Amino acid sequence: MTATTPAGTQPRRGRLRLDGVRKVLGGKEVVSAVDLETEPGEFLTLLGPSGCGKTTTLNMIAGHLTADGGLIEVDGRDITAIPPHRRSMGMVFQSYALFPHMTVADNVAFGLRMRKAGAAERRRRVADVLETVGLDGMAGRHPRQLSGGQQQRAALARALVIQPDLLLLDEPFSNLDAQLRVRLRDEVAALQRRIGTTAILVTHDQEEALAVSDRIAVMAGGVIHQLGRPQEVYLRPATDFVAQFIGEVNALDGVATGGGSCEVAGQRVRATPVGDPPAEGARARVYVRPEVVRVGAGTDTEGEGLRGTVRQTRFLGSRIRCVVATSAGEVTAALPYDARVPREGEEVTCSWRPSDASLAARG
Amino acid sequence: MAAVGRVAGGARVSRPRRRTGLLLALPAILIFVLLFLAPLGTLVANSFRTQTGAFTLGNYARFLGDPFYRDVLWNTLRVAALTTAGCLLIGYPFALYLRGRSARVRNWLALLLLSPLLISMVIRAYGWLVVLGPQGPVAAVIRWFGLTPPQMLYNDTAVLIGMVHVMLAYMVLPLMGSLDRIDPTLVPAAKGLGASGWTCFWRITLPLSAPGMLAGAMIVFSLTASSFVTPAILGGPKVKLMPYFVYTQATATLDWPYAAAIGFVLVVVTTGLLLGYSRLLRRGRGEVVFA
Repeated sequence: MTATTPAGTQPRRGRLRLDGVRKVLGGKEVVSAVDLETEPGEFLTLLGPSGCGKTTTLNMIAGHLTADGGLIEVDGRDITAIPPHRRSMGMVFQSYALFPHMTVADNVAFGLRMRKAGAAERRRRVADVLETVGLDGMAGRHPRQLSGGQQQRAALARALVIQPDLLLLDEPFSNLDAQLRVRLRDEVAALQRRIGTTAILVTHDQEEALAVSDRIAVMAGGVIHQLGRPQEVYLRPATDFVAQFIGEVNALDGVATGGGSCEVAGQRVRATPVGDPPAEGARARVYVRPEVVRVGAGTDTEGEGLRGTVRQTRFLGSRIRCVVATSAGEVTAALPYDARVPREGEEVTCSWRPSDASLAARG
Repeated sequence: MAAVGRVAGGARVSRPRRRTGLLLALPAILIFVLLFLAPLGTLVANSFRTQTGAFTLGNYARFLGDPFYRDVLWNTLRVAALTTAGCLLIGYPFALYLRGRSARVRNWLALLLLSPLLISMVIRAYGWLVVLGPQGPVAAVIRWFGLTPPQMLYNDTAVLIGMVHVMLAYMVLPLMGSLDRIDPTLVPAAKGLGASGWTCFWRITLPLSAPGMLAGAMIVFSLTASSFVTPAILGGPKVKLMPYFVYTQATATLDWPYAAAIGFVLVVVTTGLLLGYSRLLRRGRGEVVFA
């Protein structure tokens, strides 16, 4: 699980490390023992449903909340007890939190003013960053005179101009309409890679997380369920929660037969173990996304795959949905539009590449 | 018919709906016209008359030419301004404290704040007479320290104490509303950019609560400048305030036109000051204050 940093860039600052970070709010532990480490320049997303502890974790990184236990480090420096105004975090809030009584330029210059930058330097850096985010010409406007997307850019400019250790993004796209959301999230991701500042994004939108992140930490109930590259998290979920939260999944129960093999209803299937492979004979579960399931004609399985009968095929536009009744239960496949579409009632075999499915122990 | 307005993007309101809107405002408009504008018109008209009813500017000439009355006007504005400042100094920290408290705490403290208004003005003022009087608890405490208690009644200080007590709620309530409207993420955002708690207050909270301060200050200033009962009881004849002289001119001297002129001068000066004050603040902020 190494992070992918853009190639050809020099080592940068912005290595965040959380070690056993906990937070109790209103008598309830909302974050329990979160461990996390980023590479400098990485785009890491905390993904999870509301109440999973992702925003609380972000607020502890920013310093707006104090951790009740554990350690927060940036570039090897312990910042756990440092108040927010002495950290160097550029945060973009869900509401953008632009100061309504200040112009865009004054909003962006605020952090520079606090750092006692001279007037000339302030002007230059504000102009630079406004150009970077595409807001040149808007410097004199007040936030209420900007569109939602422009406000978002202004908030981003304000966070970036102080050249922060980390860029913290708290659901920054959720107040935008669908089209603009997609455009801005791609812009922000591209900008982040260009500037090279480590970014932590908090979102509940799995597509957004998959689209922009180098790595995703899927959170639920105050703990990280899985931390990995988007493909890993999507194709090889570690837990039921991760499998269910990100898209549709086939969960097949069986018994581990060593390595990446598993016997499901008397038939052998293969998948990639997440973490330590379950011991031989242990109860195990295989997670397979519908997109990776191939539906082959006939039942010649060469000892691998799941035989079954096609129960239903449906044309859904971008995909063809095919439900196969197997002895291990129904398996759903989402076939590409140019695949051979099996007839309903046909005897088929469902198979997949072992690297496209995960094998996890079952409690 | 109702759809007509909506087709135009909600910018225009169809005629029947506009009529309904006017109907809703009618009771308030009637009360305002009948009980405020009409009497004010009568007052202004009277102030330009002699005792016998002929037109004259003499009442105003008499007021403006008399150093005594100019002094009374100045003193009235001074007491009103000091009361406003007192309410702001005591009320702002209190409103800040109330922000972020639980609804329960807020409700109880708001009730406490409003409690002086639940008691008759006369009773409340007589209460202060006892408290600040030579045999009162304040004097007793001062004597206990071995000092001679100063005269605490029938002067500006007594009026100020009594007025701040009544007016505090009128300052705190608009302030609370104004503070509540501030996006709660603004202060964390400022902190994240490097602002200390104190800087956050000066640069974020204070300027954004200006509408509440302005509204509170306008209410307190105008109510204090025109208040009669509390200053009359706590200040007595030595504290010279305009409403007191309106009263004596109307009831003792029976010079109604002159009383009307004094009253109207107070209205004009207070309104002028408030307008200037609000414009000043508005220009400073570069935006509409009552938004």
